[in-house]
Amino acid sequence: MRLSGLLLCVTLGPVAMRVAAQDPASEAWQLEVKGDAAGARARLEKAARENPQSIAALRAYAEFLDRHRDPGARPAYARLEEALERSNAPGSERAAVARREALLDLIAGDQAAAEKHLAAYNAAGGSGLALGNPPARPPENYIEIPGPLHSFARMAALSPDLPAQDLLGALARNVVTNGYQAGNSNEALDQTEYLKLVVRYLSQARELERLSGDSKIIKIETCDSTQTGDLLRVLGYRMRGGCGSDLVLETVNASRAFLTIDSGFPLAELEQALRTNRPFRLDYHPTRVPVLYSADYWQPAKDKSAGPFIDYFISDPAVCRLYLALSKLEPETADTLRAEIPAARLKIYAHVIDFFGAMFEIRNGKAVVPGGARSEKAWADLAGASPEKGAAFFEKLAARDDGWLASYFDALARLNGPVKIYLTEPDRLKRFYAAIRGRVTSPGPARPVFRSNTDMLLLTTRLRLDPDGRPHLPGGLEVWKSLFANHPLGKYDAKLTRAAPNWRDADDVLEALFALCRKTVENEPLKIFMALSDVERNRTKPLETATVDRLARDFRLMNAQYSLFAEAPSLSDRTILQYLDAAHALNQIRDPGMKADAAGTMQSLAGLWQILTRQGSIAEADADQTLSRILAPFARIQGDRDIFDAGRGGVELLLAASHSPEKLSPQDRMMDLLAGGAGDEDSEARQQIVEDMIRIFEAQKLIPLNTLFDLADNLESVARGQKLDTALAGKLATRISEIDLPRNTMTTVERNSMSFGYYTDKHIETERKLNLRAAIEHAASDPQKLKDLRGSLAPFLRDTLVGFNYIHYAPPAAQVLRTNALFVRSHDFVGIPGSGQTWKATEVFGTGRPANAGGRLVGSLASLPYALAEAEQNFLIPTREQALIWGDLVPQMILCAVVPRWWNVTPAQLHWVGLHMAYAETLLAESALDARRRSEVIAALEPYAAPARLETIERLLAAGDVKGALDHVVPAEMYWLAEDLLGTDRDSPLAADIRKLAAQAPDQLSDRAISRAFGTPKPTLANSYQPELLRLRTFPTLMGYSSRILAESWQSNLLYYAALADQTHLRPAELNVRIPEWTEETVERIFATHLEDWPALLRSLRLVGEEVREKTRKQLLAEASVN
Amino acid sequence: MAAGAWAQDRPTFRVKVDLVVLSFQITDNKGHYINGLKPKDFRILEDGIPQKIATFAEGNKPPVEVAEDGSLKPIPVSAEGKAEGRADAFVGTNVFVLFDTSNYMYRGFVYASDAIADFIRGLDRADSVAVYTYSRNLKRDAPLSRERNEAIFGLRKAVAGDDSALYNCLLLTLRDAAKVSGRKVVIVFSNGPDNASMVAPSDVQAVAEDEGIPIYVISTSDVNKDPISSSVFKRITNRTGGKSYFAKTWQKQVEAFESIREDLGNSYTVTYYPQPNPNEGFRRITVEVLSDAAKKYRVQCRPGYRPQGGFDRTRTQ
Repeated sequence: MRLSGLLLCVTLGPVAMRVAAQDPASEAWQLEVKGDAAGARARLEKAARENPQSIAALRAYAEFLDRHRDPGARPAYARLEEALERSNAPGSERAAVARREALLDLIAGDQAAAEKHLAAYNAAGGSGLALGNPPARPPENYIEIPGPLHSFARMAALSPDLPAQDLLGALARNVVTNGYQAGNSNEALDQTEYLKLVVRYLSQARELERLSGDSKIIKIETCDSTQTGDLLRVLGYRMRGGCGSDLVLETVNASRAFLTIDSGFPLAELEQALRTNRPFRLDYHPTRVPVLYSADYWQPAKDKSAGPFIDYFISDPAVCRLYLALSKLEPETADTLRAEIPAARLKIYAHVIDFFGAMFEIRNGKAVVPGGARSEKAWADLAGASPEKGAAFFEKLAARDDGWLASYFDALARLNGPVKIYLTEPDRLKRFYAAIRGRVTSPGPARPVFRSNTDMLLLTTRLRLDPDGRPHLPGGLEVWKSLFANHPLGKYDAKLTRAAPNWRDADDVLEALFALCRKTVENEPLKIFMALSDVERNRTKPLETATVDRLARDFRLMNAQYSLFAEAPSLSDRTILQYLDAAHALNQIRDPGMKADAAGTMQSLAGLWQILTRQGSIAEADADQTLSRILAPFARIQGDRDIFDAGRGGVELLLAASHSPEKLSPQDRMMDLLAGGAGDEDSEARQQIVEDMIRIFEAQKLIPLNTLFDLADNLESVARGQKLDTALAGKLATRISEIDLPRNTMTTVERNSMSFGYYTDKHIETERKLNLRAAIEHAASDPQKLKDLRGSLAPFLRDTLVGFNYIHYAPPAAQVLRTNALFVRSHDFVGIPGSGQTWKATEVFGTGRPANAGGRLVGSLASLPYALAEAEQNFLIPTREQALIWGDLVPQMILCAVVPRWWNVTPAQLHWVGLHMAYAETLLAESALDARRRSEVIAALEPYAAPARLETIERLLAAGDVKGALDHVVPAEMYWLAEDLLGTDRDSPLAADIRKLAAQAPDQLSDRAISRAFGTPKPTLANSYQPELLRLRTFPTLMGYSSRILAESWQSNLLYYAALADQTHLRPAELNVRIPEWTEETVERIFATHLEDWPALLRSLRLVGEEVREKTRKQLLAEASVN
Repeated sequence: MAAGAWAQDRPTFRVKVDLVVLSFQITDNKGHYINGLKPKDFRILEDGIPQKIATFAEGNKPPVEVAEDGSLKPIPVSAEGKAEGRADAFVGTNVFVLFDTSNYMYRGFVYASDAIADFIRGLDRADSVAVYTYSRNLKRDAPLSRERNEAIFGLRKAVAGDDSALYNCLLLTLRDAAKVSGRKVVIVFSNGPDNASMVAPSDVQAVAEDEGIPIYVISTSDVNKDPISSSVFKRITNRTGGKSYFAKTWQKQVEAFESIREDLGNSYTVTYYPQPNPNEGFRRITVEVLSDAAKKYRVQCRPGYRPQGGFDRTRTQ
């Protein structure tokens, strides 16, 4: 921030700017860029304190705090304002400070102070800014729920953090998804246990309400009063022992008592009051909850006899579905639909509007359609109504083909840019819809619990256009014709197989892919298309046709491995094919144990190569050749000795390619490389990471590389007639003796039924049986047999190499790895014989079986990071009384804290993100004062936020509620908002600061560098673990993925943490320790109501941020008091 | 990568053994507790190596320091019950109650809550208690405290959950208990099933053994109804020095809690720093009673432990 710089620039020009560059602010800036923000702050704070009359010192300090979004900026500017007043500074300077203060007031939610500073701004000669008058809103209507909100929220599984206006919508969602189940006897729906409890609770709450009388306060004056008995009867308890300290409340009616406890009635407080014979008071006023439109809209007069609103509401899932659907719509759109279509008709399509209505938009009575005016006619033809008549159009759209057309509309409306233009070209729009529609349209995509148009959404979102404007087809048209016409594993679709030979361009392939989108079975061609598009996405040269063809044909067996190829765009076609060949060669090994050792060794070496390439330890130029040389021996494995030699050779190639110092042992070199970073980073953070890694290595009783390699060398010497190194052999024997067999393996019945784990147990048993001395004696003096003995070390080498992968991706706390000493050794590379699991995605198996030896991972190592995170997620400890930990979201959050490392992040990059966040906040605050700026901001957010959210943001900004608006913009959107408006903003000092920083370190601050530094891995959405930022809307939950894709499209955490680190002056290397900690805390504070409740995640993120900032503030105060 | 990356000292992982806290009960052949024994009446052995007892306590009486000559010296105790100058020797027991709130406990939830509340009220004043609940995840409802009301308030706020990850949550409870100095026990109140844990009972049992934390289990299930859980409960409680109770009725549950309270009040607790021992694996502990009647006595105690790993700040080459 350079308020003075801006003004001087306007009035005096660049010369003055250069003069200004000599001031303390400039000095502080240089310190910040070098990474010493704390030093800069201390220096500026001291200067401001010691020179309270110095405008330059006060300004520099205030601007520094402002750049770092420190709450201290407001009082610092106030001091500057006073100093400017005292010194009779020019009006323009005073106006600039007052303007900035007004913006900061708005960001802090202090509208009164903002008004005051705006007045000062105007008095100093400023103009053009004013807080708008909030637009008139229809009066809110309310319904009543008996009892306190927190009790009802507990029973109905609603987050207490939900804004009041969202409460009924969230309840409606819970009733729709969890409230009813198919009945056994007839077609009617039965209430689930969840809903039965809610109903029973309402009944109990009403009884309590009656006890509370007119005052709505439950009062117990004395222990022996009649009210006590009445209250306890309702609660399901009775007194044991007489009134006084011996009194204990005990259950007499289990059903009532359950409701009492589960709804959070303060039973312990009541008991305490009775024991001490003190009065007990409980406010039992009913809760007023806002209802959309009015209660009468949902409960018409004819249904009033069904009871109070809340009972009626939860008794009808169709009403709940409609409420849910309309609550998601943009208000003007919802109002129009409601005004023009009777509720009874809307109810029929409520499920479609619920799932696919979020992008519906009616403006001035007219429907806004993807493709705009150009496509309106096509939409009219498809829907059977003109978009000119908004309500009629959307009704027809929702009704058409049981929701398929609405789902198509939704998928296209979510797009932006050239792909949207391409797909909404009128002829193409109709052609692809015809393909989707097919002949039979039932069941519609809104019928199941999750949206079932997953494939369509993924296809449209991930489609790329080539420079010639045509869709990118990996490998070209012929590959796809051949895949559909002659697939070796069977036809995908008879009609498409017949049509494929006649395809002429990419649209023919796209048409086929759209046609398959509607199939409920596994949509393999689409998955091939997306995986291969992702493999090619970052390549400078596309893959050769033959390579694509091979990848397409091997997809079913090998697809999990393709993320390795997608992550390394420098891999040659030759190496990719070599990988597939090696995998096929290993599949031919008949002995399952040997096959597991060979595949485990190869996969773990490839995994280590992937890690070292990702973190830059292996240069991009060397990556291809290194992997190629690692893979070579695996194509000709004949026995255990070959596996050991290939494993050892692979380790040596990795160490050589990463140029680690040869003076250290291979074990130490590998641990150093996996820890990441170089010597000049924060040594404390690095030390902590190394220690954590060693702890896990020891907990898993793995054998260090040194021991294995030295022993192999020694066996070679023994073959030449020298003696066995007994110390080395003893070391191995000691370690082997520590390997226990799983103490409680599965029962025979379980094992026979599942066939899992047999070969891992055998693997461990083989290791335990190894007796080198006896083996040497047995080999006698046969040099060849003695040489072959090193093959017996192959299983141990496999475990060590697999272990390195596990250790690198170990989630924070790593409870499983620290507790189950056999977890790495139990990795099952074989699985069910014949299932081909050796090359499939890593899966967690065996949870919740006390008779088993604990959970284990099965399959390849391809998705090890996710599987480890999944295995660990249930060890997180929610801090709230009823937290919903999401099965798919939490592993992805853990993944984002584990896969990327931040050793190479620079202070300039942290400050870059921090400045973007500060600038975005300023943009939103300016939007509250300036209608032109508001329309720019709303337009910039449009590609990310659905119409309803945009309307909320716009409304809050128009009303001057910037803090409220900020709650609806996620950190990733803030970052993109700043990035998008930066280029055209020549006035904002923050924008100027960002440009200045970019000029100082252009390489560090390129899109690619920032994407790499603070992006997230997206193994499902982008088929790659390479962290990157993609400009995406947050996805909804989808059939087949639940919330996993939603989680991958949530890219805000790391950007938020980066800005937090900048605010709190952390050194970049500390992120390697802090981000895993912050992630854990964020997960533990989530209190969500449903799977799409990402606002709950945002709340949790901000809560953690506030705690970190508070801690830092206290630390700074303590340091300041010492100094 | 800069060569400086490897210039710093590397931490070396070595086995190290801190103070061992050992609690045990002695009963006669009729199951009656034997009280009033003194440090001179015992011999503690680790892998057969005699150990020197550092402190000794009986029941909830304050601990005493055992001098070289065998004489006993009281350890000053602060108002908070912390033994001054010896932070690892608390007065009383740290009791961690782990309460199953999963769907499996749905029907017995409120009765169990009552029984636990009674147990908490009946604990010795010197004891501290924490209340944790679990279903798929653990929840720390009341932190370790001597305030009984705090524990009961936490207990009464428990919410019914869904899946059961008993062994995951028992592990986390043990990890919390391990951070607390002095004598501690974990009491699990559950009806047994586990459908969500990643860790096996045997691994959890190993942690309890190593940390010296007895596990007591009160199962609300029939012993024969769920043989897997029953056998696991019996094994982990026996191996850690605790006990298992199969108490389907509320009355049986109250009796089980009473029995646990008696165990706590009638146990001996000694501490010692282990004598040099090359064994870095499982070290077997034996408690011998040096008395003529010793043959008739039965010692209930954990069988041993594995020493923990730690770091030296020296470089390995």
